[in-house]
Amino acid sequence: MNRGLFQRWLRLNESQRFVILTSPVILFLTLFFVIPLASILLVSFWRTESYQLITDWNLQNYIDVLSEPSYRTFMIRSVLTALIVSITCVAIAWPVAYFVIRYGGRYKLLITLGLAVPFLTGIVLRVIALQGVLGPIGLVNLGLMKLGLPPIDALMYTKTATVVGLIYLYLPFVTTAIYLSLLNFNFRLLDAAKVFGAGNMRAFWEITWPLNWVGTVIGFALTFVPSLAESITPRFLGGADGTLYAMAMGSQFSATGTWSLGAAMGVVLFFVAGLTLLTISRLVNLKRAGFTGAGSRD
Amino acid sequence: MSNTTTRPPISRRALLKGTGAVALASAATILPTPFLSRAEAATLQIRALMWEPYVLPEMIAAFEAEHGAKFSTTFFDGNSEAYNKLKLGGTRDFDLVQADGFWSRLYFREGLIRDIDLAKIPSLANAFPTFTYPDYELLTSEDGKSPIGVPFCWGGYGITYNAEQVTADEVGSLEVLFSEKNAGHLSASARFEENIALAAILVTARMGTQGSARPDGKPFNPYVLTDEELAGVEALLIAQKRLLTTRYQDLGTLNNLMRSGIVWAAPEFSQVYRQLQGMRRAGETVPDIQHKLQAKEGGLGWIDSWMVTSGVEDSEKLEVCHKFMDTILKPEHMKQIADKAGTSTCIDIRSLSSDEERELFLMDRTTELKGLHMFDQPSSPEKWERVWSNMESA
Repeated sequence: MNRGLFQRWLRLNESQRFVILTSPVILFLTLFFVIPLASILLVSFWRTESYQLITDWNLQNYIDVLSEPSYRTFMIRSVLTALIVSITCVAIAWPVAYFVIRYGGRYKLLITLGLAVPFLTGIVLRVIALQGVLGPIGLVNLGLMKLGLPPIDALMYTKTATVVGLIYLYLPFVTTAIYLSLLNFNFRLLDAAKVFGAGNMRAFWEITWPLNWVGTVIGFALTFVPSLAESITPRFLGGADGTLYAMAMGSQFSATGTWSLGAAMGVVLFFVAGLTLLTISRLVNLKRAGFTGAGSRD
Repeated sequence: MSNTTTRPPISRRALLKGTGAVALASAATILPTPFLSRAEAATLQIRALMWEPYVLPEMIAAFEAEHGAKFSTTFFDGNSEAYNKLKLGGTRDFDLVQADGFWSRLYFREGLIRDIDLAKIPSLANAFPTFTYPDYELLTSEDGKSPIGVPFCWGGYGITYNAEQVTADEVGSLEVLFSEKNAGHLSASARFEENIALAAILVTARMGTQGSARPDGKPFNPYVLTDEELAGVEALLIAQKRLLTTRYQDLGTLNNLMRSGIVWAAPEFSQVYRQLQGMRRAGETVPDIQHKLQAKEGGLGWIDSWMVTSGVEDSEKLEVCHKFMDTILKPEHMKQIADKAGTSTCIDIRSLSSDEERELFLMDRTTELKGLHMFDQPSSPEKWERVWSNMESA
């Protein structure tokens, strides 16, 4: 760095340095996140008529989204689906991450990187591949039929199929979050607990689980929020009765051309997701979780 | 005694030399970039908004080589999706666009497409008369003065059925798609407009309102419905939902469902019918799949077309757009389209087809198009959206 520039940098106070260092990110977020979001917010107060956007300021789209039973049903379906998917992912990811940390040895990083293998293909391809497994003439049901057993109806174009698909898609995120949390966990604490008479289960629930709560919650949030906004998986796996909120929202911008209603649905989804994150952040007690934040002053 | 040599440390001069060489090499690469970009920009870009099954990569590559143009594609599924894309500034993003039925005139009315010169498309001489003006008016402006598109492929939205499970008599009526007898063995597409329009044909036939005065004062059109008829459609679609295996998103899914015998009847563009008939005739174990173009209550039909967007003002680009339409309408290319997409073509390709293909692709039945209701814009997309949402959430 130029000496003069460096001297000037040193003369700046901490706030000025903060502004300079964060300004590229702020600019990026403003251009590609805040402005598009603001435009969605704007359109949500207009109305569409025969594919025409009319700048007639009103709240009707929000009244419709919140009062019409169909949109409420889509939202309830989406929230329930996201909850089931996130809880199941956490339940599956915990033993996987724990096993990798405890018994992965020198291969644990390799095993964790292996979780990223499905991401080498696009989401649509992965969902279509899953259709080939779960579908009426997919691997599972064809196998069952070859064995003379009846096919499993629950796997064929149902909400269950959507849940299975979403778990498959988001499990790597939760596993990675819990793995990273366990990576920094001091397992000698368990030995200490056992010395004082705690059994395996008690040691887990009173030490391992609370001290890795942050990783668990982050994994949960990383699954819950995108599951809430999922439209591709239910489209391909969900069947005639499996429409979720984001799927209905997406069709407002394409098939039906009711953009302002779609925009209002988007704003509502944004707030529901934000509310969820806020609630989750309230559940995290960083100090209780043993996380103080490197470099923090408290 | 071994004579060991130690590698001299890199001198400042050598470092400067190396750095200089790298800098020169970088400059040599970077400096001409603006000129290269300009050269690239000089390549004519033709951007098409089209249906994915109609892409012929080899033809496009040959066309690019012949005209020094770069052809790029963006795909859509339903007409309203393409319309929305054009409305949102798409006339600047696309040069060629596809649509069907009444949509072409809507595009022209709204200034999304421009008039074209049919004299520059000699391949149109091979089109079946059914698809050209004055027999077919929808590709000419409403005042009859300006050609606005060229016909490409055609078809209906008839019922493809498993003849081992459903009789030809049953499939003569749209009731077959809503029959309890076929519960768990029916499918429908995910396209909201055609689902509602097809149900509307049945509902209005049941209500006896097809012949009565219509809301727009014109003859019956399943895309223009009264509120009472729409309520009937909603109730019918809700009742149908539990009879469906699924709403198919793509033809591959319907193909699998019908081939496996799970689905017995579904409305479709007859492509799956042709695929499965082809497989059966090739000796594969496939159910006897047949297709009914029009039920007694009525049916839906479409003619896909190519149009030039209003964003094309440059005469050179317009010329290449005309050439593209002329090229793709050549019988040999239309035969490839028929083989690939499984659709009937508006261009007469009987001389290139076998007797079997003439039958499968309805080449001798083009006049039946007259009896079908053309794909159109819903009279109220907002009301139709509510019907669809209510059905999906029920």
